[in-house]
Amino acid sequence: MIATFRYEFLMQIRRPVLWIVYGLTFAVIVVTFGQPYAELSMGAGVDRHDPTTAMIVSADLLMLLLPIVYGCLLADRLIRDRRLGVVGVLDATPTGHTSRLIGKYLGTCAATAVPFALAYFGRAVAYAITEGEPSALGWAVAVFVTTTVPALLFVGALALAGPLLMPPMLFQVLFVVYWFWGNLIPPRMMPTLADSILSPNSRYVAYGLFGYRPAQQPPDVLVAPDYYTYGPVSEAALNFLRPEAGVAVALLWIGVMLVLAVSVLSLARLHAIRTES
Amino acid sequence: MRIEISRLTKTYRGGVHALDGLDLDVPTGMYGLLGSNGAGKTTLIRILAGLLKPTSGTVHIGGHDIATTAGRLAVQRTLGYLPQDLGVYPDLTARQFLDYIALLKGIDSRTTRRRRIGEFLEVVALTQDADRRLKGFSGGMLRRVGIAQALLADPRLLIVDEPTTGLDPEERIRFRTLLSQLAGERTVLLSTHIVEDVAQTCRLLAVLAKGRLAFTGNVGELVSQADHRVWTLTTPGPAPSHGRVVAAVPEGTGMRYRLIAPTAPDPYARPAEPTLEDGYLALMETGR
Ligand SMILES: Nc1ncnc2c1ncn2[C@@H]1O[C@H](COP(=O)(O)OP(=O)(O)OP(=O)(O)O)[C@@H](O)[C@H]1O
Ligand SMILES: [Mg+2]
Repeated sequence: MIATFRYEFLMQIRRPVLWIVYGLTFAVIVVTFGQPYAELSMGAGVDRHDPTTAMIVSADLLMLLLPIVYGCLLADRLIRDRRLGVVGVLDATPTGHTSRLIGKYLGTCAATAVPFALAYFGRAVAYAITEGEPSALGWAVAVFVTTTVPALLFVGALALAGPLLMPPMLFQVLFVVYWFWGNLIPPRMMPTLADSILSPNSRYVAYGLFGYRPAQQPPDVLVAPDYYTYGPVSEAALNFLRPEAGVAVALLWIGVMLVLAVSVLSLARLHAIRTES
Repeated sequence: MRIEISRLTKTYRGGVHALDGLDLDVPTGMYGLLGSNGAGKTTLIRILAGLLKPTSGTVHIGGHDIATTAGRLAVQRTLGYLPQDLGVYPDLTARQFLDYIALLKGIDSRTTRRRRIGEFLEVVALTQDADRRLKGFSGGMLRRVGIAQALLADPRLLIVDEPTTGLDPEERIRFRTLLSQLAGERTVLLSTHIVEDVAQTCRLLAVLAKGRLAFTGNVGELVSQADHRVWTLTTPGPAPSHGRVVAAVPEGTGMRYRLIAPTAPDPYARPAEPTLEDGYLALMETGR
């Protein structure tokens, strides 16, 4: 498992296309969200001088588009062993399939997350310096571990396993569609998983664990008590998947991401067993 | 390590009977496996390497039953396997690829890995190119990486599936010599269509045809399958219709044919000394 982790990490991080695509996408983010990204403020009145809030906003902005790059770059990793014809030699070693799958999963996901992490922590360091707020670095780690990592673990499993069922190009297209539909579009527009407990891009942890509050009441919140909340969206379908944010629900979301990741990987393993003829 | 195969069948999805009740005993030493395209050689080898589950029948290798997980792992720990269509990771160097395989084979000590990899790169004459990415390697160089990979774990059982295809004659001879040197107390199973490679290295061999055993015995016995059935004929005309032409060389104004036929294919044909290839072809002729 460690051997596979090491070499899969190495092979992925060496791919020039990884750095090029991430670089371009990052440039697009900086150009499109120039102002908010420079200030780390979302809309009116988010307190950008609060390091926790700023780090949440920073992670949020990257989570808009970078997971698409992350998913697409992982799409060929699992199926390529067979395509390249390496699988025979690997299978003839006493190292088990499952431990190789886990090693590959963690190794490729970690490597693919490196540019992501560099962008995020780079911004955190810049923030810490310009704001004179070294505690931002601690918050950056905390936010990354509790929001970005669980999300990327699930998306990574999905991106490795998806191409077992279809050509990787098709998977990449569908994945992009999924990302926009299931994570980014406003829930009132159409039935979507966005902002639900199943969405890797939802903000349960930000609200539930870090007390994130946009300064203005979002217009579409169904229940509007005296604090600003995250959860059911008025007039949206699938609201049963949107419990009201809180500590428990934030932890639940992390658990859901991990369970989804493990389930997808188990399905991939089963698929491999079934196709061994 | 002795390989004992009993009543082995493999039916692929779609109903192809790749192996059909195969019984075979492979003793320690060098052993040849011959057979035409589609005979089932690769299927047999993939079963022995633990990559494929047989439909029925049993295989014991060194006393281990490979149908059990413990047995399969015990065999794989001492197995060197060179597949017919070996692929590599193009983005690794030869040294890195070998290191990865060595790790998967359970060679945990870094110094052991380094030493072995250096040794076998030398054996396959790739020391110069060891730190180049594999995507720049020629077909023959990749075969040599494959050979090094198979030898890494000092295997007691070495299974090679058509290892010499794509090698130049010098490399081919070097490699088959290496295989016979390795044999000794190891078992080396060499599958090939190149009869010459078997003739030069193996004493014992088996011939597969359509998933069944068509022949097993020593090289001399296979040669004698063609006794009194090999003929040469020099003629200006066309080849005789009777018999199977195995060679045709222009000579003077005509052609000199070498033929396999149960009886003289032409009044002017003269009997010739059979080779292993003749024996193999004669066997195939009788089988159809
Ligand atoms: N994965 C598979 N699915 C279905 N049929 C297969 C599969 N692999 C092999 N076969 C069939 O099984 C038979 C035996 O194939 P095998 O590859 O074992 O032959 P071989 O002796 O290695 O041939 P060659 O000399 O061409 O390598 C063939 O008829 C082949 O078409
Ligand atoms: Mg074959």
